[in-house]
Amino acid sequence: MEKDTVTFAIMLSVIDFFLSMLLISGIGVILWLLPFLNKLGKLDEESMRRGH
Amino acid sequence: MFFDEMLHFFGQMASQTGLAHFWWGNVLMIAVGVSMILLAIIKKYEPLLLVGIGFSCIISNVPGSDLTLPGGLFHYAYEGVQLLILPPLIFFGVGAMTDFGPMIANPKLVILGAAAHLGIFVALIGAKLLGFTIYEAGAIGIIGGADGPMAIFMTMKLAPHLLPQISVAAYSYMALMPLIQPPVMRLLTTKRERQIRMKQMRTVSRVERVAFPIVIGIVVNLLLPPVAPLITMLMLGNLFKEVLVTERLAKAAANEVMNVVIVILTIAIGSTMGADKFLTGSTIEIIGLGLLAFVFGTGSGVIGAKIMNLFLEEKINPLLGSAGIASVPIAARVAHVVALQDDPENFLIYHAMGPNLAGVFGTALSGGIMLALLQ
Repeated sequence: MEKDTVTFAIMLSVIDFFLSMLLISGIGVILWLLPFLNKLGKLDEESMRRGH
Repeated sequence: MFFDEMLHFFGQMASQTGLAHFWWGNVLMIAVGVSMILLAIIKKYEPLLLVGIGFSCIISNVPGSDLTLPGGLFHYAYEGVQLLILPPLIFFGVGAMTDFGPMIANPKLVILGAAAHLGIFVALIGAKLLGFTIYEAGAIGIIGGADGPMAIFMTMKLAPHLLPQISVAAYSYMALMPLIQPPVMRLLTTKRERQIRMKQMRTVSRVERVAFPIVIGIVVNLLLPPVAPLITMLMLGNLFKEVLVTERLAKAAANEVMNVVIVILTIAIGSTMGADKFLTGSTIEIIGLGLLAFVFGTGSGVIGAKIMNLFLEEKINPLLGSAGIASVPIAARVAHVVALQDDPENFLIYHAMGPNLAGVFGTALSGGIMLALLQ
């Protein structure tokens, strides 16, 4: 398909907009899962601060 | 005889200086450079950027100066942009000074980081209709992402010759967001909606804060290699900050590295603002399209938040949507200030930082997808 056209610009925009929505929702899902890591244990901030 | 020889001598000397090549375009661009410095000093508009850009713009428009030519220092500053080294280093510094806690604490708001980017596509289609090539249109569109380093990164990949116009438009509109956004936000919301208060957010643990940059670094490199350098460096800077054992490095990234990179970057941008390249009809079109992108981006973010409210039991303040346009933390601050005008006890800043930070990812995702589809 010829890329340098208005039609392609519209198609690119529609695909990009919805794909961005989808991918950022994926990041949202990752963020939603992050709290489950807390079940593995916790990090002692005081000892981390003394670590260097 | 003597006078003739003297005249000839001085004439030859003058032709070797820049004076012989001075034209009104240089005068105009020197005035632009001076205006930038004055805006920074008097109005405090983005002083860290405008002083360097303004000065470099002035020097680049003095004919005879070879600073911008190969071998000149400004030329090598530009090489840092051209080789795409400087934008990722800016992100490195930004990551080291950013608290992603608000974004991690409220994942549902990240969708606003994509919703507020309709402006990118309005500007892209508008640029194509005005006759720009699809690559130029893509670079112009990304102004709507309100993210300076990303705009520079995309421009260098798609249309490097438009760097001065696009970077100046992006940074100017970011500085003017407190003037551009509020009318759009008020137009699209009722007073009652602007008074919606957000619930206190949960505390984000250290484990989550450390895991976040590592996980996102993997995901972005896996799914979006074209923009991975930017997000990877953002995450590295943030990891240095959050692990607490590399405090020195985090501080260096946020201060020394960031300051040096800003100096080089502003010199590089200003050095491309020669009158012959900048004073064209396309500059006015790009400036106009940039404004359109910011207006539509703000509007689509607010509307996106209102659409979310149709499905949410606990309503969110739609002003948060406008913060999804990126430009951290200016857009979040604008949402906060507009909310305060209708309810002096409605503090939105921390909540607005979530979509604001998501906006950085939203712009990167849009840019990455665009590069993948265009190249």
